[in-house]
This record gives sequence, structure tokens and C-alpha cells, in this order.
Amino acid sequence: MAQHQVNYSQDNGLPVALTTIDKVVNWGRSNSLWALTYGLACCGIEMMASGASRYDFDRYGTIFRSSPRQSELMIVAGTLTKKHAEFIKRLYDQMAEPRWVISMGSCANTGGMFNTYATVQGVDRVIPVDLYLPGCAPRPETLQYAVMMLQKKIRKEKAGNAQRPKRLL
Amino acid sequence: MQQPNRLRPFFENITFDREDNEMIVNFGPQHPSAHGQLRLILHLQQEQIVKAHPDVGYLHRGMEKMGENMIYNEFMPTTDRMDYIASSSNNYGFALAVEKLIDVTVPRRAQVIRMMLLEINRLISHLFWLATTALDIGAMTVFLYAFREREYLMDIIEDYCGARLTHAAIRIGGVPLDIPDNFIPDLKDFLDKLPANIKDYEDLLDTNRIWLMRMENVGIISEEMALSWGCSGPMLRASNVAWDIRKEEPYELYDEVEFEVPYSDKCDNYARYKIYMQEMRESAKILYQTIDMYAETVKNNETELMAHAPQYISAPKLELMTQNYSLMQHFVLVTQGMRPPVGEVYVATESPKGELGFYINSQGGPYPYRLKLRAPSFWHTGILTDLLPGHYIPDVVSIIGTTNIVFGEVDR
Amino acid sequence: MRAYKPKDDVQKKSYYTDRYWVAPMVPKSKVEDDAVFAADLEAIKTKFEVSDAYIQVEQMVVYIKAEDNVGVLKLMKEELGYTQLSEMSAIDWIAKQGQFEIFYQMLSMGKRKRIRVKCFIDQKQAIESVNPLFRSADWAEREMFDMFGVIVNNHPYMKRILMPDDWEGHPLLKTYPLQGDEFAAWYEVDRIYGKEARDIIGPEIRESARVDRYDTERFSRLGFEVPMGTEPKAKDAEETPLAYQEEGGVFMIDKFEDDKTEIISDRKR
Repeated sequence: MAQHQVNYSQDNGLPVALTTIDKVVNWGRSNSLWALTYGLACCGIEMMASGASRYDFDRYGTIFRSSPRQSELMIVAGTLTKKHAEFIKRLYDQMAEPRWVISMGSCANTGGMFNTYATVQGVDRVIPVDLYLPGCAPRPETLQYAVMMLQKKIRKEKAGNAQRPKRLL
Repeated sequence: MQQPNRLRPFFENITFDREDNEMIVNFGPQHPSAHGQLRLILHLQQEQIVKAHPDVGYLHRGMEKMGENMIYNEFMPTTDRMDYIASSSNNYGFALAVEKLIDVTVPRRAQVIRMMLLEINRLISHLFWLATTALDIGAMTVFLYAFREREYLMDIIEDYCGARLTHAAIRIGGVPLDIPDNFIPDLKDFLDKLPANIKDYEDLLDTNRIWLMRMENVGIISEEMALSWGCSGPMLRASNVAWDIRKEEPYELYDEVEFEVPYSDKCDNYARYKIYMQEMRESAKILYQTIDMYAETVKNNETELMAHAPQYISAPKLELMTQNYSLMQHFVLVTQGMRPPVGEVYVATESPKGELGFYINSQGGPYPYRLKLRAPSFWHTGILTDLLPGHYIPDVVSIIGTTNIVFGEVDR
Repeated sequence: MRAYKPKDDVQKKSYYTDRYWVAPMVPKSKVEDDAVFAADLEAIKTKFEVSDAYIQVEQMVVYIKAEDNVGVLKLMKEELGYTQLSEMSAIDWIAKQGQFEIFYQMLSMGKRKRIRVKCFIDQKQAIESVNPLFRSADWAEREMFDMFGVIVNNHPYMKRILMPDDWEGHPLLKTYPLQGDEFAAWYEVDRIYGKEARDIIGPEIRESARVDRYDTERFSRLGFEVPMGTEPKAKDAEETPLAYQEEGGVFMIDKFEDDKTEIISDRKR
């Protein structure tokens, strides 16, 4: 049993300075963003197109994974309906931290053109969103740009971020 | 819902029933090979399905209700999001239904352009079908190849209307734009290469042992079953019914072009695959003919693109800018919307997935009183209830693949 | 939650109608004009009561009694060759006459003809299922129940199909608002987080174009970024140029140089 008085929960719980480790960890995180295949509607087709031959998402280290447990980026591509809302929350909870969410397309951002009884008016009512991507449907180039912006955002974060999870509630 | 306890822990997707050895597996609603938000509840005996219960509605966005609260022209972009893989065919189905309701005839040049768009959309949709189905079965190469060709077609569509996926390229009464200069040379370039490309895919798949095992004698839909479930399109033609609305109830200029309707009496997944491949060739054939037809309209100097019906359809741009009355009419049509006559119409068109029908009940107001969208995929999903029992778990993926369902259309 | 009070007709109405405007009709022609339809109608008339029949836009419309629906469809399927039920649904006429109109869209592939069979039922009346004749009615009737609340007798699985099972209300009724009632507005919050979370998450924002640029907790304005949670200066926000990489370059990654990039114009078809 250690006798010293180091408070491990201070400074994100790590008793070392993180100036360079931050960079190393963030380099790894930002360049291997594995995305969950979460094509809900039309935007999902553009998401597939950006993963396919011409746009080639693998250049960014972004590989689509089918399991939430293997992925850290959720691209909500398409309309989220009220019937589906509980599943997006469950999948988000299953993803390992740190995790990021790109809300792709108008429907996911705000409900978009589907201003009806059946659609959730923006996924940020259910899960926290890092990046909103406008368009209906956004082109693959736009999605690529969003991933670049997300990489930039990750590089600014502290590597110990995982211990301060983002929660809507 | 089962009650979890220490002896019988709770598994999210699986329910075990010890008594009769039946296992209930939940497939979806977010499954990578479900082509969207399909949820299947499968009752299994060992690995064989004894009961399947498709659960849809995870993409229900209330389009019919939206249509009842919109003027007719306003609804056009919403139709894009139904079958979002071939948007223009939805635009066209709706436009045709309203045109039948208000009884206008579309100028010939617009008809030719519409046919071009429809067939390009059919090619896009079939290529996408091939890509995703092959990917589900494990043929990654075909996915990459088919998407490569699909991107070229999307470039061509983009040159026409500026959008890749949601085109809104057809208006009630015609088309908004003439085709751009490079459209036909690009299309010809693409079409010249298409047979070689299709042959590539077929070389990769046709005699591939895995492909054959997953496709042959799997998912057999008998003729009675297909008719009873309201199947249409390639699903019906693979079940020995040579029914193509383009041929049987021709709309636009489909009675002037020559093409074959491929059908098969094998009724299985492989038959549907062959029909999709053959239909791509037929679409290319139609496109070659429409290119000639377009050249003919240029020669005859038929430049009109929108029907002339001042009561319902705005005048061309030049007239709007010069004629006062046309501008007033345009203003009324844009702000209040057209008021079609009282009556109802059901118009079916052959979309890439099957019979796409629009039922419009108009009470003389600017909004339809009732708008029912008859989407082929809805019934092609329903048939899974009867089709899946008796098959094995891996067959589910290939059967869902060949039914070619799109959930924007199923749930509307 | 307050009980939902149905309104008479919340459907959107046109804001202007000419007082003297009389809507024209889509022309109807007599059934006798078409030999095939006339023969079909005769066959139906010999066994069942037909209240009205005409041809509109190349298709025959036949009005029958609601009790006869299975009989008529059976006759059409087995004797007249209308082998496919391509569509069926209901129309809400409750505000006008307290009734639903049910239509069955039939297709005969041999004759290349389409017939629409229609009947009226009262608001609380149930209709017999045609599922034994056409399996496609299985899902169509479920959808009709889901959207209109029309109960179908002898249906194998009469449950909601498009909306969740615990949904309240039937969306396609004219009394149902387009943007949903109060139950719909809170559905996902109640379902996931519980009713106590309503105050935290707040009501739905139905203006889809609403972006508050001063809300730096949730939005960052690309090109004019400020740290999260700080007040942006109203007018002279400092412009931060959009760039993929930071000024000093990125750790372990080559520096991206704008002037060395090349734009490929020919996509090599």
C-alpha cells in the first residue's frame, strides 16, 4: 500500500506531464478514426460513396466498422425517426470512449425538410454532437472535410479526455 | 421481455428458450447488410429460421402527411427522398400522376430528356444494387468496381441538374432544363464502356463458387407467391412473369424504343441477379436510342421543354420576363399553387425497384386531399415474412440483398 | 401530460380561394365505352350490389358495399383474372360525412387493366380482411390501421407497422397535426431519458434553419472560431483562416502546402 499523498484524480488522473504524450495519443486517435456504419437514409448512400472507389476514405485512416464497440466515430447519416431514437442512444453508449459524433445532413442536424410528427428534430436531442455537416445530401467531399475538421478538433483535445465523458444528461 | 437474473443473464439481441430449443435473434434495425433500417425478428431452430417477423417503420418520415400539407410543386423534392438511389424515377412518377390529373401533354423533347434521366437512374440503381449485394456476400472488388462506374453516371446527372443524389430534375409538365453540351458525348463514352464493365462483373461473379452457393436455389419465390404479395419489377420477372410496365402500359416514349424484357423461371436469387445484369444492358440499349431521338428533336427544332397549360404550369422564363400576364399567373402558381380538377388518379410507373404508383385524390384545392405512395419495396419487404422460414441465417443476407429494398421507400 | 384533445381538422388550408371559383372535374366516362371493363362490371353486378361505376383516367372505379369486399375481390381474382392487389388504403372523410373510404387497387396482367374497388365504412366500423386472398393485404391493412385506426377483422397480426407500438394517435387522420401532438413531441425524450428530463432537454425546435451564432457552447462558426463558451465579439470577430492543419504543422505528418496541390480536371472517363 503506497504511503504517499499523490492525488491521482487531479490533472485527469495521470501523475505525469502530458505535453508530448498528448500529441502522440492525439496523432493516433485522429488518424485512425474508425467510423460506425450508421447510414440511416439518403446520406448513408453518400457515406458509402465516400468510402468507395473514387473518394476513398481509407486515406484518412477512416475505416467503417459494423460494431459500435470497435468504432469511435459515429457518422449519423440520415433522418433519425422517433421510432429509431432509442437505438441511436444505445449504440452511442456501446461505443468506447473517447468517441465523436458527426451529424451528417440536414435531417440529422435539425430534422431538415421532414418537419413532421415522426422525425426527431436534430440528433443532438438524443446524443451529443461534435460536428454538424450541412447539406441534403452532403457530397462526399463535404464529409471528408468534416473528418479533417474533426481531426483538427481532436488534436486540440487533451489526451486524458476520456475520463471526462461527454454526456447530454 | 425476458427478466434477467443471475442464472439467465440478459443478452441484448438474443433470447433463449430452453424448452423447445428455439432461439430468437434480433437482426437490426441498424445492421450493415440490412440495406437500411430493417429490423428482423428471427425465430431459429438451430440455424434454420422457423418464423420471421420483419419490423419496418424506422425511417417513417411522414411523407404522405407532408404531401397533404404542400402544394404539388413543393412536394417534388420530397419524392427524391423516397427511393433515394434513383431519385428521378420518383420525381417522374409523381409528375406523371399530376399530369394525368390535369391532363397536359409534355413536349417531345422533354419526354426524351425524361427517358434519358429515367434510364440513367435505372443504371445507377442497378449498379448500386450490384455493389451492395456483392459487398454483403463478401465480394469487395465488385463493390469498388460498381461504385466506380456509378460515380461516372452521377457526374453526368450532376452536369444536368447539379445534384448527385437528390436530383429533383423533373417538373410537373416537363423538365426545367435542356441537357448541357457535354452530356451526350459523356453518356456515349460511358455507354461504350458499359458492356465491357458488365462483363467484368459477370466474370467475377457468374461462376464464382461462393456466389453460386449463396445465390442458387436460395430465396425461391413462386409465381403465386410473387403475385399474391404484390411483387413487381425484377422480383416478379424472376418469378416467371414477364411484366414490365414500360412494355405493357407504355408511358412517355417507351413504345417507340426497342428493348427486351428479361425474365426467368428459376425464381431464385441467381435469377434475380441475372435479370438485373440483363436490365442494365437493356437500359444502355434504350439510352442509345434516346440519344438518336434527341438528335432528331434538335433537327426538327422542337425546343419546348414545358407543357403549355397556363392554368397549371408557369410560362417559360422568357415569357415571364416579357409578358405581364404570364408573370401574374406565375406569381399565383408559386404562392398559391396549382388547383387541379376534382378527381382521383392512380398512375404506376416502372421504377428500378418495381411498380412505383402514386394515388392522388384531389378535391380541387392546392393540396392533395389524399396522397398514397405505392412503393414497390414495401411489398418486397413484406414477402420476407413468408420467404425466410426454412432458410438459414446466412441466406437472410443474400435474400435481403436481391430483394433490393430501400427504406426511404418502404417506410416513406 | 395533458390529455390530447382532438381538433376538427388541423390540416393546412389554402390561405386564399376565389369566392366564385368552381373546381372543374376530372372527366368521367361511362363503363360501356370500354368493352373489357363493361364485361367485368357485369360479372360483379350479377352477384353483388354496385352503387356507382365509371371510368376515370383509364381506370374503372367501382363502388361496392363494405360487407362485400372479400366477395368482390375473390370474384375478381378467381374469375376475372385480377391477380394482383397493388395497393389498398383509406381516405379520411370524417369531417365531411363521418366515414372512411377504403380503396383496393387491382391489376389484371392478362387484360392489362386496373380497377379501383371502393367502399365506405363508418368511423367505428371494422372491415373484413382480404389477407387470405392477397398476402399483400397483410401489410397494407396493418398500415391502414396504423395510419387511420381502421380495425380489420380476422387479420393475423393487427398491430402498428410504421409507428412504434406504444404510439398514440393515428397520423394520417385529418385531425392529427402535421408536426405531431404533445405525445409525439416528447416521445423520444420520454422513451430514452424519462419524463423528468423534459426540462433539461427542452422543447423541440421546429425552425430547421435556426443557428444561434452567439451560442458558442453548441456552435462554432468556421472561420471565426472562438474558444468554447466565450462570448464572440458581435461585429469584428477575429477571422481565423480555414485550414486543414494548424499553423505549426501536425505532429508526425507532412506539412500540407497549398501551392503544391494539383487539381485534376479530367476525371478520366
